[in-house]
Amino acid sequence: MPIETITKEIRDTIIELGGTDAYKCYQCGMCTALCPWFQIDKVNFLVNRIPHNVKIGNVMASEEKEVIEKEVEELFRCVGCDNCLEYCPRGVNIGDVVRAIRRILVDYEVLPKTLKDIATKIYSSGNPQGEAVEKRNNWGKNLALPLFIPEMEYAYFACCIPAYDAQARKIAEATAKVIKLSNLSFGLVNDDVWCCCETLRNFGAEKVFKEIANNNITALAKAQIKKMIVTSPHCFTTYKNEYPELGSEVEVIHTTQLFAKLIKDKKIIPVKPLKKKVVYHDPCTLGRQNNIYEEPRDVLKSIPELELLEIENFTRKDSVCCGAGSGGLWLDWQKGERMSDIRVKQAVDTDAEILAVACPYCLIMFEDSIKTMNLNLQVKDISELLIESL
Amino acid sequence: MEIIVCLKMVPDTSETEVRVDSTGKDILKVRLVYTTNEADNYALETALLLKEKYGGTVTLISVGPQKVDEVLRMGLAKGADRAIRLTDDLFEKGDAWTTAKVIAQAISKIKFDLILTGCIATDDGGSQIGPALAALLNIPSAAYVNKIEIIDNVKLKVDRELEGGILEKKELHLPALLTIQTGINTPRYPSIIGIKRAAAKPLDVFDATKLGIDIKAIESLTILERMYMPKIEAKAQFITGSDDEISLKLATLVKEKAGL
Amino acid sequence: MITLLIEHREGQIKDICFEMLTLANKIASAQKKEITSVILSDNCQPIADTIKSYCHKIICVEDNLLQNFNTQIYLPVLSNIIKEIKPTVTFIGHTGFGTDLAPYLASSLSIPLLTDTFDIELSSDKLLARRQMYGGKINADITSKSLPAIVTVRAGSFEKIMTSSALIPNLSASITKLPFNINPAIPEQSKFLEYGEVPTTGIDITKSDVLIAVGRGIKEQKNLSAIEKFAEDIGGALACTRPIIDAGWLPKDRQVGSSGKTVKPKLYIALGISGAFQHISGMKSAETIIAVNKDPEAPIFSVAHYGIVGDLLKILPLLANRIKEMKA
Repeated sequence: MPIETITKEIRDTIIELGGTDAYKCYQCGMCTALCPWFQIDKVNFLVNRIPHNVKIGNVMASEEKEVIEKEVEELFRCVGCDNCLEYCPRGVNIGDVVRAIRRILVDYEVLPKTLKDIATKIYSSGNPQGEAVEKRNNWGKNLALPLFIPEMEYAYFACCIPAYDAQARKIAEATAKVIKLSNLSFGLVNDDVWCCCETLRNFGAEKVFKEIANNNITALAKAQIKKMIVTSPHCFTTYKNEYPELGSEVEVIHTTQLFAKLIKDKKIIPVKPLKKKVVYHDPCTLGRQNNIYEEPRDVLKSIPELELLEIENFTRKDSVCCGAGSGGLWLDWQKGERMSDIRVKQAVDTDAEILAVACPYCLIMFEDSIKTMNLNLQVKDISELLIESL
Repeated sequence: MEIIVCLKMVPDTSETEVRVDSTGKDILKVRLVYTTNEADNYALETALLLKEKYGGTVTLISVGPQKVDEVLRMGLAKGADRAIRLTDDLFEKGDAWTTAKVIAQAISKIKFDLILTGCIATDDGGSQIGPALAALLNIPSAAYVNKIEIIDNVKLKVDRELEGGILEKKELHLPALLTIQTGINTPRYPSIIGIKRAAAKPLDVFDATKLGIDIKAIESLTILERMYMPKIEAKAQFITGSDDEISLKLATLVKEKAGL
Repeated sequence: MITLLIEHREGQIKDICFEMLTLANKIASAQKKEITSVILSDNCQPIADTIKSYCHKIICVEDNLLQNFNTQIYLPVLSNIIKEIKPTVTFIGHTGFGTDLAPYLASSLSIPLLTDTFDIELSSDKLLARRQMYGGKINADITSKSLPAIVTVRAGSFEKIMTSSALIPNLSASITKLPFNINPAIPEQSKFLEYGEVPTTGIDITKSDVLIAVGRGIKEQKNLSAIEKFAEDIGGALACTRPIIDAGWLPKDRQVGSSGKTVKPKLYIALGISGAFQHISGMKSAETIIAVNKDPEAPIFSVAHYGIVGDLLKILPLLANRIKEMKA
């Protein structure tokens, strides 16, 4: 086949699947400088080349095995933090372009095996750990938490990570305890509602995303759940911004939004002091992508004697990603090449004793970096800090 | 070199729980992801590498229902030249013998130098079809091959992995059949060009009638009576006591389980 | 009649033969049948001597061409024997040799084949075999529609005949020697060249039956050598979690986990591993998991079969010594 035909075909296929933004790019390179990968010397991730390569159809155009392997690794590097989108002078949504490319590849099983396995596990048992469907609410049994019934006002969905992981479970437990103390009527979402699949959509497993999302919507409607509290910003963003076009009518509220409201309404009153220096990390998905910056801070500021710190120059919409989005939680980058290492170093430099997070992914990534780098810093979810004060 | 590669579509059960269905004769297939059998991917990669080195064509064959096309298209996207799907209810109901006979009938009409199959399928784990097929075609075969060398275009030198870290080295005369061990190479990803070209490559479908197959001759020789879950041991017994007591109990346990 | 093919390599009879003999004795006594062992070799007598108290008859075929296993050459010999004596069932080991030969043999005779079985039931007209499917997650019972049939037997499923209670007493096999004739074209089709050894650099931990995995709990690199020695002593391979790879103490091909390898060994010993889910997902299907960790809440204990809460650096030397004593 002549070269012109081949590359046009590649370009057109990507554009068709959602990559139109590639045409807006005029190669200023802002995205490359703002990408968190830019802060890691060993990694040379040229973000602006992505729209350029789409325009000339130079995506996975080689037929050489080694070249393709390297390219696949690079195409799954983007974690969807949207720092590029925040500052792009043309509003190019690089994330959309990357997702369009990934959709083509995933259809032919061209993706890192780790991610393929995650998709298989979620498809088969509703969670990325591959644990049994029925075990989703086991964490709640120890706290005698009821399942949601229509008479209740809110349902609580803990996210697969806290639900199934011994390390992150503390987030769900602390959150449930806080909500219980407020006397809000709530119950746990039943285990026929599976993973929100935001990660799957972001790494290109669109078909699986749609199938499970539709099942979730049906199950939630059947349970008559109208308002749902979620722990993960990823569940939050996908239910708020992506599920409605599939027919969902569920109103989502993030735990930090709920906590802030409960405190404001004096339904819960933080009294026990926590005399610690706490630096807050804005999760990309909660902050930059959904503009929720103040509520988490309001919650922290309401805790007596807590000193709230900020990471100068990299706060709020300039927050640096922990690296777990779009499948990053599962992929393994070499030591010295990890995004979360950058962020914890920034946190340590503020002299904080505690790094406060509002997302289970951030918790896992930062705890891991701290252990690997042997740093003197604790990671706590906002719910954990709050329950200690009530 | 004219190479034929046999591919099988299997459910990916490596990362999921597997349960028996209500008939007791099959697994619950409701939420399973289907993909190419792992060892077959290595066989296909072997064929593609040989094609790159010696020229010729690679033909894919698979027995199964229409959705098997996914596996065949992926193989074509990676660089195979044509694909053949053998689909018929009669084939589905059969055992490994049936499958071998059906593939043999299809291959009998094709000129070939080498047939490659995966060494084992992750669903039934029978490891039968490769050599059974070779016997039906009256060609020599070697199973669990992890190294291949072509000599003078008429002979193969192969390494087979045996137990205890021993290799067996043999020489086979072409035409021959090899079943390929996993890990022999690194299966490639298809390129986007490959994916686009795959749609235009020939994928022919044959049923029992079109194959001209004698139904009696492909009847199964075995019956799957039932499937059931193996016994599961209870979890997490804590071994307690003084360090000495613990080490003794532990040593006994390790000795038993490690087969010392 | 129950027949079994004696597997040998470089003059040594393989252990699986003693297991197949146990199976054969078990069935033969229940069904009042006789056992015939078949030896194809360049020197049958020493092998025949080893097994003659465990079967009724031995058929020997001797020739230099039979010295080393070769499906194409063994095939006509075995086919003729099976056609001649019409055994109800023929056992072949499910080994590197057996998986090469059995399907070819069964197919050329158009008789049923049941592979990789761990148990057999034979009644007057029915043969039932038990085997695993889906990577060991499911068991299946398969029957043969007709007899004779061939069965390949999984190693480690039966006791060796010498210690088994199934031994039929007072057996002393009569030996029959059959002549060897072969179409000269056949040895040209398929030639045995030589045996070799798998290169030891780059171990595939997914193929190891016993794995000793280390995590951050081992604290320092210098503690690794004692663990390595222990692993050798119990015939296992070293594996690890990602932090060990990061530290450069072990190569990447030893990593177990969602971004490393998924393993299913018979025995998995986790030392100083907390059990982060990325690691657990790579080993939770191991047959027996023993975990040692200082922290009683460590998530690894939720998948382990046996747990020890303690200091691995104290327990390991004691354990290693015990093993040495037991092996002596």
